[in-house]
Amino acid sequence: MGLIQRAIEHIGIPTIGISIVREYTVKVKPPRTIYLRWPFGHPLGEPLKISQQRAVLAEAFKALYAIDKPGEIIDIPFKWKRQKYDNYSIEELKTF
Amino acid sequence: MTTFSRFKNRFISKLLVRLPFLAKRSVAAYHPPESREIPWTPVAKKLNKSIVALVTTAGVHHRDQKAFDMKDPNGDPSFRVIDVTKPFAGLMITHDYYDHADADRDMNIVFPVDRLREFEQEGLIGKLADAHYGFMGHIMGPHLHTLINKTAPEVAHLLKTAGVDIVLLTPG
Repeated sequence: MGLIQRAIEHIGIPTIGISIVREYTVKVKPPRTIYLRWPFGHPLGEPLKISQQRAVLAEAFKALYAIDKPGEIIDIPFKWKRQKYDNYSIEELKTF
Repeated sequence: MTTFSRFKNRFISKLLVRLPFLAKRSVAAYHPPESREIPWTPVAKKLNKSIVALVTTAGVHHRDQKAFDMKDPNGDPSFRVIDVTKPFAGLMITHDYYDHADADRDMNIVFPVDRLREFEQEGLIGKLADAHYGFMGHIMGPHLHTLINKTAPEVAHLLKTAGVDIVLLTPG
């Protein structure tokens, strides 16, 4: 995924990637990444958990605007099923 | 690759989800080309004015498109154009190297197009692009060269031509 991300950034489009394998991202060095310590096949979370999926998307966009150093990886501290996502606010996105 | 090999790959992919230490070993054995220079394009537009596209390596494609090649042990470096103006129910996943049973129930966990459509309707992003791109991960050996030098730059060019401002990438 990171190799494709690098090609897209190279042509002049800013990118943000969601990683669930940190070691791989460290090797490939895509420009901007959020990392979640979640199972394979679940970068946005669990099926039909809409507030969880929205929270991950919001974190991705926040990181897109926050990262100013090429190759930075932001570790998202979401605790998979133990996290409460219903009160997560995405209002901050309106300021970007 | 035999039918048995495909069965074995799917079985291993299910184990990797349940046994994280196996997943770590699997990653350690994978050697992508290490990179030094990091490409960089500053974010120039506000989010609520930006056209956003998705690129996924989760093996997503339309049902009427050719499936990714699961018989080649080095993977398949080609891509599929995902037209989100078509019904979402017409999408499927071909990828034996991760367990996509949950993603088959709700494609948004690997390809969050419904969530991005909501963000568009709420005015958080400017517009969801019409065309998105599906690859499969697990590309190795000679196909890495094809991905880096041919198919990934082709998709980058298509996104640029379509006027896309931001690309979000998701794995399987």
